[in-house]
Parts: sequence; C-alpha cells; structure tokens
Amino acid sequence: MSALTILWTLPLLGAVACLLAGRFGRAAAKWCALAFAAAFFVQALAAIMPFVAGGGAGLDAVGGAPLAFGVSYLLAADGLSLSLILLTAFLNLICVFSSWEADVSGAYWANFLLLASALTGVFLARDLFLFYVFWEATLIPMFFIIGLWGSDNRRHAAVKFFLFTFAGSIFMLLSLIALVTAKHSQAGIWTWNLNDLKGAPLGAAGPWAFLGLLLGFGVKIPVVPLHTWLPDAHTEAPAAGSVMLAGVMLKMGLYGLIRIALPLFPAYAITWAPLLAGLAALNAVYGALCAMAQTDLKRLVAYSSIAHLGFCLLGIVSGTAQGVVGGSLQMINHGITTGALFLMVGFLYERAHKRGLSDFGALAGRAPWLTFFFGFSIFASIGLPGLNGFVGEFMSLSGIAHSPIPFLDVPFFAIAGAAGVTLAAAYALPAYQSVFWAPEGEGSVSSHVTDLTFREKSILWTLCALMLWIGLAPAGWLSLIEPSVRGLIQ
Amino acid sequence: MILLAPQAALAAGVLGALGLGLLRRPPALLVRALALAAPLAALWLLRGAAPGVLAPLVGADTSALWWQLVIYCGALPMAFLSSGDDVEAALFLGSVLGMSLLAVAGNLPMLYVGLEFMSLPAYLLVARAGTGEGSARLEASVKYFFAGALAGALFLLGLALYYAETRSLGPTAAALGPQGQAGVALMGAAALFKIGAVPLHWWLPDVYEAASPEVSGFLSTSMKAAAVLFLMRIASLSPNPAFVDVLPGLGALTALVGAFLALRQQRLQRLLAYSSLAHAGLLILGVGAWAALGRDSASAASLLFYLGAYAVISNGAFIFLKASGLTTRTELRGYASRHPGLAAAFAVLLLSLAGMPPTGGFVAKLLIFWQAVRASLAVPVILAGVSSLISLAYYLALVRDAYFEDPVGPAPVPAEGACEARIAVLVCAAGALILGAAPLLLRGIIGSVWR
Repeated sequence: MSALTILWTLPLLGAVACLLAGRFGRAAAKWCALAFAAAFFVQALAAIMPFVAGGGAGLDAVGGAPLAFGVSYLLAADGLSLSLILLTAFLNLICVFSSWEADVSGAYWANFLLLASALTGVFLARDLFLFYVFWEATLIPMFFIIGLWGSDNRRHAAVKFFLFTFAGSIFMLLSLIALVTAKHSQAGIWTWNLNDLKGAPLGAAGPWAFLGLLLGFGVKIPVVPLHTWLPDAHTEAPAAGSVMLAGVMLKMGLYGLIRIALPLFPAYAITWAPLLAGLAALNAVYGALCAMAQTDLKRLVAYSSIAHLGFCLLGIVSGTAQGVVGGSLQMINHGITTGALFLMVGFLYERAHKRGLSDFGALAGRAPWLTFFFGFSIFASIGLPGLNGFVGEFMSLSGIAHSPIPFLDVPFFAIAGAAGVTLAAAYALPAYQSVFWAPEGEGSVSSHVTDLTFREKSILWTLCALMLWIGLAPAGWLSLIEPSVRGLIQ
Repeated sequence: MILLAPQAALAAGVLGALGLGLLRRPPALLVRALALAAPLAALWLLRGAAPGVLAPLVGADTSALWWQLVIYCGALPMAFLSSGDDVEAALFLGSVLGMSLLAVAGNLPMLYVGLEFMSLPAYLLVARAGTGEGSARLEASVKYFFAGALAGALFLLGLALYYAETRSLGPTAAALGPQGQAGVALMGAAALFKIGAVPLHWWLPDVYEAASPEVSGFLSTSMKAAAVLFLMRIASLSPNPAFVDVLPGLGALTALVGAFLALRQQRLQRLLAYSSLAHAGLLILGVGAWAALGRDSASAASLLFYLGAYAVISNGAFIFLKASGLTTRTELRGYASRHPGLAAAFAVLLLSLAGMPPTGGFVAKLLIFWQAVRASLAVPVILAGVSSLISLAYYLALVRDAYFEDPVGPAPVPAEGACEARIAVLVCAAGALILGAAPLLLRGIIGSVWR
C-alpha cells in the first residue's frame, strides 16, 4: 500500500478500532483514539518532510487506471495538500487532548477519526468522483458530532449544517457530471481525472457548470449570502467539533476553488474574478459587522471566521502568486488561531456553562493564563505584525492590490479588505476587554472560572508557539505552498 | 427450454405451495422453505439462461435476463421473511412469476398477461399478509385493485388503437400516425400507473402504508422494476413514440411531489411510501433519458443499477419497520440508545436512500443524473437535484429522531418474525455499503457497457 493510501486509511482504521475499544470501556477508547491520532500526525509529518527538504518539488501520486464509469483511484499530494493534511492531523490530535477529560463514548472518538480520514481524502483525491465521495463523507461524522455532543440547540444546527452543505454540493455534482460528459463528447473516453478534464468543451453550459462549482464551494467557505448555517453549526458544536469545523472544514471550499474550480475554468476565473472579489470583500466587512453585534462569545468567533475567510478568498481570486499563497497560508493561520479561540471558549463554557459576553467580567484576576492565551490569540486573529495573521492578510491584500486581472486592481477591494482588518480590531478587542478586564456586571459567573490546567496550558502553548513561528518566520511555510500554487495559477 | 427455466421453477413453487395447502395443517417450515427456495432456484437457473426467442410469445434479450436478476433479488427479503402461510406463499410466488413472464414477454398480449399475473396476487397479498388493522388493508387492497384495473383497461385500449393502425402485436419499424401514437401513449400511461407517476400515484401511499412492511418492500422494488421494464418495452415499440418526451418532466414532477409530501409524514411507513414515490420520479427521469439517448445500453445499465441498489436499500428500510416494531416518528425517538446495531443499519439505509456517498444509493443517483445530463435534460435534472435535497431533509429527520432525541414512552415490541427481519436489515445495510464501492467492483458487469 502506498503512503498516500495509508494516510487516509489510518484514521479510518482508528475509527473502527475506537468503536471496538469502546466495548472495553471509555478509557480504552480514549487511549486508542490518542494512539491513532498520534500515528496519523506522525504519518502526515513524514509525508510532508520530503517537500520541506526538496523545497516542495515533486509530486507523489498513486493509482490512475480507470475502473467502471471512468472513475479511477487517483491520489496525489503536493505542498498545499500536505500542509492542509498536516493541519488536519495536528488539529485532530489537539481535539483528542482537549476532550481528554470529557466523559464520552468510543463513538465520539470514532467520529473525529472518521472526519480526519474523509478530510485527508478530500485533500488527496485527484479524481473528481473520489473527491466528491470524500467531500460528502465529511458531512456524516460532523453531523453526528454536532447532533450528539453539541449544546442546547444542537439538533437543529446539525440538520441545518448538513442540508446547507448538501444543497451546494448537489449542484457541484451536476457540474462535475456535465464536465465529464462534455469531455466524453470531445475525446470519446469517460474520465473523472482532474487533469484530463481541463479544457472540456462545455459551450453554453460553461457558466452554469462554473456556477454549480461555486455554489458547492461557496456554501462551504462560506461566502455571504450562503453563510447562514455557519453561526448555528459553530455555536452548537462541541468545542473540539468547532475546532475541526472552522479549522479544516471551511478550508475545503477554498481548497476546492484553488484545486478544481479555478484551474478547470481559467477563463471564468478571470472574468468572474470581480464578482468573487466583491463577495470576498463583503465577507470581510459583513462578517466583521455581524461579529460586532454578537453577545455570545462563541457566535462572535464564528462570525469572525466568515470575515477571515473573506481575506483568504480575496487573495485566492487575485490571480497573483502572492495573493494565492497568502490566502492559502491564511487558511492554515485561521485554523490555528480560531482553533485556539474556540478551545478557550469551550474551556470557559465547561467551567461556567455560559458564554455570553455579559456573563463574564474581570477574568484577568481569576484566570491569568487564560487571559494571556486569549489575548495572544485575539492579537494573532486581528493581524498584529509578528504573529501569523498579519502575514496571510498582508499578502492577500497586497496580492489583490497588484492583481493583473482587469477591474481587480482598482483600490476598492484592497480598501474594503483593509476596512475589514480595522473592523476585526473593533469587534475582537472590546469583547476581550469586556470579558477579561472590565468589572463584573450583575449576574456574572466569573467566580466559577478557575485558571487553566496543565493539560489545557500545554495545548495552548503549542498553538501560540505556532502562531509566533509562522508570524516571525513564514518563509519556510510559504516555500512549502508556493510551488504547488504556482503550478495551479498558470 | 432453458430460456424459461426460472419461470418453471417459480411455477413449481406456486403449485407446491398450493399443494401443501391441501393438507389439513400445512407445515409452516416447509412452506417457508419453498417460498425461499423458488426465487433462489430461479436465480440459480438464470445463470444458464441465454437470450433466445420462442416466437411469438417469448423473446428474452440480455436486458430481460438482467431485469429478472433485479426482480428476484428484490423478492428475496420477502421470501426470507415468509410467515409460513401457504396462501401467502402461493400469492407471493405467483406475483414474482408474473413479473418474470413480463420480463421475457415477446409481444403485447404476453406483456398484458405478465402485467395482470403479477398484479392480481399483489392485490390479495396487500389485503391478507401482515398484522395491521384489517379494514385498512382491505380498503387499500380494493383501491389498489381499482387502480390496477384502470391501468389494465388503459393498456387494452391502447393496444387496440395500436393494433388498428399497425396490424402488429409487437414492435414496428414504421413511424406511427396519430392513432398509433395515442395507443402507445395509453399503454405508457398504464405503465406509469404501475410505477406511480404523479398524477397517477393516488393509490400508492395508501397501499404501501397499509400492507405489511415486507410486502411494501417487495412492491417498491420488484414490482417497480417490472413496471419500469414494462415502460421501457412500451417506449421501444416504435422508433418515434411521442409520449417519451413528457417522461423527464413527469419524472422530475413526481420526484418533487413525492419528496414534498414525505416531509410532513409522521407515520414511518407512509413516509417511506412517499419516499419511494420520489425514487420512482428519478426512475421515470432515467427512462426519459434512456429514450432520448436512443435507448443506449449505458443508460439501460444505469436504470438497472438503480433498481438493483434500490432493491437492497428500500427492502431494508421497510423491513426495519418490521424488525423494530416502530410505526411513528415519536416511537423512533432515542431508538439508537435502545438498539445501537439496528439503528446504525437503519441510518446507513436512510443515508443510502438519500443518495449519500459512500453508499450504493449515491452511485445509483449519480448514474441517473448522469444519463439525464448526457441527454441534455438540464431543467429536469436540476429539479431532480432539488428533490433529492428535499428528500435528504426527511431522511435526516429520521436519523435525528433515532440518534439525537431522547426516548419517549416504553420500547415498542416488534411483531413475530422480528429475528429474521433483523438479519435481513443488517444484510441490506451491508449490501448498501458494498454497492457504494460499485465503481471498484463492477468492472466486468455493468462497467463493461461503459466504454
């Protein structure tokens, strides 16, 4: 079995093992999950090492012989795929540690590993049938994670999440079918191979097919106005679920754009770019404005995700290497930063069973470590120079400002993006201030909050160290992503 | 004679069941063995069957053989769950025999014989089998009978018109005039009646709800496969049947109506009945695409795969109701905490019905959409996509009930035969997952027509 096959089957195997281990008690399942999550992380690290050493050159691929219906088992990895897989494996491990004290059955761990497996498949697949199968398969474990272990309104949120994503992906499926059919009418062969499908003659159906793909990926990113599922899903999911949801699953949409939609339709990628950039700018501003209006801390972080993904999208549609690389790096940054924020909101919720902004006050005195880490992550999130968010946002905005695409080089988009950055400070800092520094209001539950335990601190140290690392020395990360992105935008 | 060997096995089964009925106390075990052995034997004998003609009544092409495979497979769960009642066994096997005669029919009168042969026992089966309220079953049976009689009358009228113009009881190579077109359209309407196309579907929910679950499973799979084949035979009578042009639109409409009506159902079996209506819509769309593509083998194979996958999934979902004894959505609440294994199997079947990967339902749905796209049926296929989104809502609602809600009231007690039903559900769920890997497995079979 090739290394790439092992990469996605290992967590799948782990899921089965956790279910079986669950029969011997919850502790057994927990250790089993840890073992597989760690093994998966090591495997992902090992897979990315050659790309780090070789500057990201080369492409590792398996399979390719067509089976029935022109479907082939085709996996390939490059710097972009592998860095997202590493992010998946890393956050998956973080999730296991962060839920370590939770009293949950083997099914909980199994769902997380199943999710990791499907996500890995999404980032590896180069056959569109395979891609779609993995894409949809991610929904099922997340549906159960939200619905079984979420907070009060979890049932509604789980179904809403599933239906919204499916609504987008059903049109994506139709677009893929149209592509495959068009290719068949031209070349006389059935194929779902991504590389073979480039230049399929769609004719008048072309814009519709592109629109279908945009719907599928746009719901996932999510692009305003397709975003309404996100606040519910992120708020109701358990903390670890929110980490995976915001950290990796939102990136599927952007990854799909970079890997599939834009390379398959390079002409539309240019002609539609102003529309996409407009939506991205709207995301950045609208997400920030919504975040400002939130009274629930978790919902605030959820809306901030919409804003941040706007920056990523802005960079990706710019058509410049700088913008796309910056947008891709920002995907990883957002996974780490927002992951940390969601975890800390989860830690607060575990202690006080509240997460409203007005439920807390003056936490700085009671929980100094939590205050420190929260502040650190907030600053990374709003793009303080020296931390990771700055690099990604700066590159995205600079990419859009220097875009060669007509209409994109007008300063409007860069200005709107910059306004989004300013607004980020305007929603994040007051929230931080009111929860940690302002005096306690009436009905405050701050007294229930104890400071972080050793386990929680270790998790957050790791995440904050990463934020600092990417912020201070982004070159290594950029060189990992850049070659694969360069190949895609040409 | 090897051509009709499966039919002979089924006929022997019918006669055997009737013969056992002559005894004062028919041995239940023997009846059950017979009910299971006859379709299995038919499947076995199908292996050796080759396309052939016994003019003018019988003419089996390759598709007739493949279609029989789907019909027998769809009947197996019901055969496995046979109650041991000799009359029921005879009716069931008689209905299967009718379907398989329909599959090998060489001309229109034989097609009619097959149609009535499969339908008449089914009316009685609805009325007789099961443990539900007797009067509801009787009412449904009568309704079913009237619908069927109407379909038969439409068919005969259409046949008369067709014959009057063409002087032929089989396919013609000549283009049809208005009278012949009307005749073919009437015969097509009879087939659509049997499939349950909107607005000819009014009998279907009542029948599927009142019949016992395994009978509904049988009707929604084998019977539907036979009806789809029936429709395809009518559509290939002449080179230019006009009525096939409405099929894609009608299919999309049926899929939408079925999905919308299923949304509000509280009783599980009625919900599944409407969901099978939505699936019938996709099948009709598939037949429309097949006709528009010049009846090519790839689209016929897609329909076949859909029906084959559906035979596993739909049977499994209906039989789950028997295995669990559940009747309403309220009773389903919290079911996963009581019976995790069975609930997981049900969830797999529901996701498969919804067309989620990695299950067989996804591949089936993909293939039908694919044919529709190939035939450039853009609007119907988008509507079908919308219907599959709506139907996901009610399938997910059931998963949500079973997994995310807390149990209400005492656990329902399943009826007799629940143990076999449980086995059948688990096998069907496993089958749904295996069929999800179809592109890997089907290289030789359906894959071979896909060059």
